[in-house]
Amino acid sequence: MSVKTPEDGTIRAMVAPDPTHPRIGFTERRLANGLRVIVAPDHLVPVVAINLWYDVGSKHEAPGRTGFAHLFEHFMFQGSAHVAKAEHMSIVQGSGGVCNATTWFDRTNYFETLPSNQLELGLWLEADRLATLLDALSQENLDNQREVVKNEKRQSYDNQPYGSFYEKLMAAVYPPGHPYHHTPIGSMADLDAASLADVTAFFRTYYAPDNAVLTIVGDVEEETAFAAVERWFGPIPASGASRRFVAPVTPAQIGTRLRETVPDAVPLVRIHFGWRTVPFGTSAFDALEVATQILAGGQGSRLYRHLVRERQIAQDVSLFSMPLVAGAALLAGWVTVRPEADPADVEAAFLAEMEQVTREPVTADELLRAHALIESSELSALGRVEEVADRLGMYATLFDRPELINEQLGRYLAVGADDVLAASAATFREDNLAVITYVPREGESAQADAA
Amino acid sequence: MSGPAILAHRPSAGPARPYHFPGFRRTRLDNGLTVIAADVPSRPLMAAALLLPGGAGHEPARLAGVSLLAARALSEGTRRRDAVAFIEASERLGASLGASCDWEMLSLSVTVPRGRLEPALELLGEMLREPAFPAQEVDRLREQRLNELLQAAAQPGRRAERAFLARIYDAASPFARPLGGDEETVPRLDRAELVARHEAHLDPAQATLILAGDMEGLDPVAIAEARFGAWRAAAAVPGAALAPVPAEPATGARGTVVVDRPASPQSEVRIGHVGLRRRIPDYHATIVLTTMLGGLFNSRLQRLLREEKGYTYHVGASFDFRRSPGPFAVRTAVQSEVTAPAVAEALGVLRRLRSDPPTPAELSDAREFLIGVFPLRFESPEQVAGAIAGLVAQDLPDDELDRYRPSVAAVTASDVVAAAGHVHPDEAAVVLVGDAERVVPDLETAGLGPVQVVPAA
Repeated sequence: MSVKTPEDGTIRAMVAPDPTHPRIGFTERRLANGLRVIVAPDHLVPVVAINLWYDVGSKHEAPGRTGFAHLFEHFMFQGSAHVAKAEHMSIVQGSGGVCNATTWFDRTNYFETLPSNQLELGLWLEADRLATLLDALSQENLDNQREVVKNEKRQSYDNQPYGSFYEKLMAAVYPPGHPYHHTPIGSMADLDAASLADVTAFFRTYYAPDNAVLTIVGDVEEETAFAAVERWFGPIPASGASRRFVAPVTPAQIGTRLRETVPDAVPLVRIHFGWRTVPFGTSAFDALEVATQILAGGQGSRLYRHLVRERQIAQDVSLFSMPLVAGAALLAGWVTVRPEADPADVEAAFLAEMEQVTREPVTADELLRAHALIESSELSALGRVEEVADRLGMYATLFDRPELINEQLGRYLAVGADDVLAASAATFREDNLAVITYVPREGESAQADAA
Repeated sequence: MSGPAILAHRPSAGPARPYHFPGFRRTRLDNGLTVIAADVPSRPLMAAALLLPGGAGHEPARLAGVSLLAARALSEGTRRRDAVAFIEASERLGASLGASCDWEMLSLSVTVPRGRLEPALELLGEMLREPAFPAQEVDRLREQRLNELLQAAAQPGRRAERAFLARIYDAASPFARPLGGDEETVPRLDRAELVARHEAHLDPAQATLILAGDMEGLDPVAIAEARFGAWRAAAAVPGAALAPVPAEPATGARGTVVVDRPASPQSEVRIGHVGLRRRIPDYHATIVLTTMLGGLFNSRLQRLLREEKGYTYHVGASFDFRRSPGPFAVRTAVQSEVTAPAVAEALGVLRRLRSDPPTPAELSDAREFLIGVFPLRFESPEQVAGAIAGLVAQDLPDDELDRYRPSVAAVTASDVVAAAGHVHPDEAAVVLVGDAERVVPDLETAGLGPVQVVPAA
């Protein structure tokens, strides 16, 4: 198995595994058609998680065709040669399972969790839509799903206070033309322009066994699972389509401080921040995750303690990374300003904390607490079959290294104060920041009327 | 038809593997504390929850929100250490430690790596028995709660939920208000009220400690005894003096209400009425009914409103079962211009519940779904502890979870039709948050008037 060099060229720290941490035992094989298959038995509960990562996300979309990867995800539930329109979900649920799919910048994943005696059914459903989706594609389906997606956008973004921050932040942190400049929901105008021919071409390019990782985790025997995969997916031909994605060369920093003010139907001012970072998968990104934990990871974190608890100028604070791999990723945060506080003062106080970690090392106690919380959070995630399946698919797809599932926690625990300092100093800079401030629209005052 | 020939053959299920909810047993310590331990083998984390009776449903109306605020303030320091020191001690263990409340109970809980269970329980015990409720932290939490209410009012879904509950419940019912209190009651809550609230429940004889996780080599009763055995009630705890949850909250108003939110691209919709208590004989038939109605992707409501009409991204329906009747609601968000037809169609689906019995496929899908996903809810110690806490909160027997799957499997079509008698479309309130100017004329034309409009603030 090949090991990719991380994008920033750094050498990964090799961390000795903690013997008290349970290891996820898994086996990996590749079918003749290129499908990568990973199986990890876990017999605690009689369920099985099936998870397919297709190496296609919104970053692969062409200009004028944004939102396609996500629209396409909807078609995958609209039927195939042997499954009727909208029947996929009802077969899964009617067999005692749950399923869904999500579209992200770097990939699209499809997953179901079923009673373990229904493994074959889940594989059949996934194989049928991979092999025969185009049989069921129609103009009527296209029109209907366009409407569903528009409603999804209205509900999830347009009709939510602060709901446009995600689109605005990505557009600010990445330049026009960059694959991360637009979000997976895309442009509704682009969706309106989508034709059946576009959708067909998209499917033929990206939906192929040689562009996917299939992971099975749960109450299964390894050989039974591999045999079942071979039975259902083995006969599907590889596509051999060319789909080379080249991450654009992206400067390490935005290059300036961007600022935008957005009047919205909001009661409290909220200031959003975005920084461009090194990509997910690098040791510097791990260090930023630890910095994030120390800055805003809980009630003991610096931002919470100083802005929310002590100065009482913030209603809430948040900081989170977006684990992207194409040349650069993103760290985002926000602070909601208490009504009596001055937004400029709150912004300055937030940024002062961000600057502080670039100047002085975090304390040994802060590091210890961050490590302990990250450890518990990782152990919790690795105790759920769905999460294990998704992570194995992620590590295999993005890094060609599913074994990262047993290494990532150790990598976080190996982050030292000097690593946090260096990664912070490279990220939290004057010339690498987008600030988007939501302010109550003129005449907007929110009172909670009970009808 | 294309694709490999084998795909023409839909596989059938293998033999189902048995599943039992983790076995647990109750022990009573000498001080009256009930201890329940459940084994969840092979998981590296352990969960503990200490339950005290009396939740937001038991509050006096003028102090609504006192339980939630008390729960939040519990982790804000103890007589031994201030808030920051207490939180840092918990973080050093990698513990997720805190308190919360629902309508029935106050719950102090912690999840922590197995090797650090005992120090985590020590912190939990300190929070339980020696909370300081510092005035400064209480005042801050109260202001944050008021700001939360402001934020919730700007969020159409939460605003709709609140307006809906205020509509269907009589103002005297605690369920008419948000669980954390409202703009009128929250300003009354201070340190003294929180202390009184907490002390009123501090009696081991009324409390339950739940431990869940890999029990190999552990003696949960000895652990509980070491940490909580010396706990005694300070004096007579006036648990019975608490305002009880009303047995049958009076049903509030029906009719159509539009909370105006000009220029909204969507209307948030709630349709429903006061529903059911948890302890009803036909509980399992009722959840099969709501699963068929609005719990599945392919439910009756989804098929019509999402897949056929394209009005919405999602529509659901459910009863919220509590010790006394919680709400029944259809919940959705629809694009503004189709608000009236969407409401009319949803009401039509409710009306047909009694006339159109479940088809064999509908019945089978709903039952299989509920049976199949049941074990998936119990993968982690935290989930197992939470499920047992639910039994305690609802005063259900210990074998309730083990009887769940056979009870669901036994539900028949006529049971479902009978359960449909719990749904009353002609007595339902319709509450919307949306652009009144756009939606009200259509609602009136569709026969859903008269419409009461709550003007934009």
